[in-house]
Amino acid sequence: MKTKKFYPNYFTFPAVVLFIVFYCVPIIAGFFMSFTDWHIKRLLAPKFVGFKNFARLFGDEHFILALKNTVLFAVLTTIGIVIFGLLLALLLNSAVKGKAFFRTVFYLPAVLSLIVIGIMFKAVFKMDGGVLNNILMALGLQNLVNDWLGNPKTAMMCIVFVQIWKWSGFAMAIYLAGLQGISTDYYEAAMLDGATALQKFRNITLPLLMPAFTVVITMNTIGGFKVFEQVYVMTNGGPGFSTQVLSTYIYSEFSKGSLGRSSAMSLLLFLMISIIAVVLNTALRKREVEM
Amino acid sequence: MKLGMREKRIASSAILTIITIAACLIILIPLMIVVLGSFKDSAQAQKFALALPAEWHIDNYSHVLVKGKIGQAFRNSMFITVSVTAIVVIAGSLSAFVTSRKQTRYTQFVYYLFLIGMVAPIQIVTTYALLQFLKLSGTFIGVILVETALQMPWTIFTMSGFIKNVPRELDEAAFIDGATPVRTFFSVIFPLLKPIVATVIVTTAMGAWNEFMVPLYFFNSSSKWTMPLTVYNFFGQYSSDWNYVFADLVLTALPITILYLLCQKYVVAGATAGAVKG
Repeated sequence: MKTKKFYPNYFTFPAVVLFIVFYCVPIIAGFFMSFTDWHIKRLLAPKFVGFKNFARLFGDEHFILALKNTVLFAVLTTIGIVIFGLLLALLLNSAVKGKAFFRTVFYLPAVLSLIVIGIMFKAVFKMDGGVLNNILMALGLQNLVNDWLGNPKTAMMCIVFVQIWKWSGFAMAIYLAGLQGISTDYYEAAMLDGATALQKFRNITLPLLMPAFTVVITMNTIGGFKVFEQVYVMTNGGPGFSTQVLSTYIYSEFSKGSLGRSSAMSLLLFLMISIIAVVLNTALRKREVEM
Repeated sequence: MKLGMREKRIASSAILTIITIAACLIILIPLMIVVLGSFKDSAQAQKFALALPAEWHIDNYSHVLVKGKIGQAFRNSMFITVSVTAIVVIAGSLSAFVTSRKQTRYTQFVYYLFLIGMVAPIQIVTTYALLQFLKLSGTFIGVILVETALQMPWTIFTMSGFIKNVPRELDEAAFIDGATPVRTFFSVIFPLLKPIVATVIVTTAMGAWNEFMVPLYFFNSSSKWTMPLTVYNFFGQYSSDWNYVFADLVLTALPITILYLLCQKYVVAGATAGAVKG
């Protein structure tokens, strides 16, 4: 069969051309523009400035803080989602009644807009009459009442919580698919050998669930580095710069018109995410076992 | 007292049920406060309590529809979502069909090209300049094309995974009967892709409806704003009138929530389809 004739390359052209023009070209252009003094007022006349943008960024304490915050956010949210997602999946894989209803509820946050969720959680974390403070008062914990998003010490933790709240159900769906793929033979054999529930979990469930862990960890780490909407809506990087992350800093530089600096930051974010994706994927794949 | 097997099992299942309900409440309570609050008056909504509205203010919704310019935003969001989804499904399935049917250097190149897109974040500043250069800045077409490019990689990987399991004999039989590639694809293959097309449609539609960053960067005129942009802006103006803010949130989230409840099977399949491939 002549595949050349029957599977023509031109079938791929609409997708490939669209993707190259509107995705790859900006990536390549961004690489070059990072080394210029490009500004919104001189859109067509950028001048080459070497590594000046990068040197300035690494001397800028706000950029370093945004970088630290982004890494912290990615790490904490990924840990939270890996654990809570697994917990939800194990609950639904147990003998609990009403599984279909619970699954529907647990997954719901994954489909809601981050803008809607962000504004909703502003009501939860509000100082005066906010939901969380209301609950603390009702429990008699007045001394814990706090301006959660207005306090630099707690603002970041609130945004981390929102991300975990949104994505744990999504991770649950991936774990559940993995759990359903594990043959019951393994558990029956283990039961005959007199294994305890904990032993079964450690020696059968966890290792055979490694592919699901790979996906959940990689996806959420990448997603964590890209975080934008929830920060933009809930704190816009504040109070001060305490919740500033790379994407919001890129946006604020863009709004000021400093396109060269903004591109330089985008390039760094791009490089970081690419390296982390490759490293994580290789490291985690090694730990997967054949079923 | 020593517990027997039966009591132990009942106790442990009760504990599991309690934990499950607690997790459920953590998700539902904030959502219920929003929905209930959207029917309250301003003073009662500000208390953020789970109580039923003292008086049901359905007029909050008509107020938001007028003041929040929801009608226009709804049409804009709808137009962008439908366009992005249509282009992604057709261009994506065509490309996935060819790349999953033959192994050449070109298809290898296409594979790696889209693999980059699965990981790399969008370079929004240069995309902005590109749209300026193409005279597409601030237009619907510009935003639609950028969002299409953004959604393409995932679609192609998901579709390829599915097409690989469609027997090759079907297209070969059509070719022997003298059908052209275009005809073969649209009348033989595409109808068989229904489940995965449904998955791609709901996943893409949700992504496009909820997309915030692209319209935020590229639309300066409020007449083109989408639902999430409008609700963000509305919140900035009316942040003390939580009843209106909540009604606006409900209106923004409602279409997606309905789509989710109706097509849950396909939505969850979308989450795991991308995952299996990795």
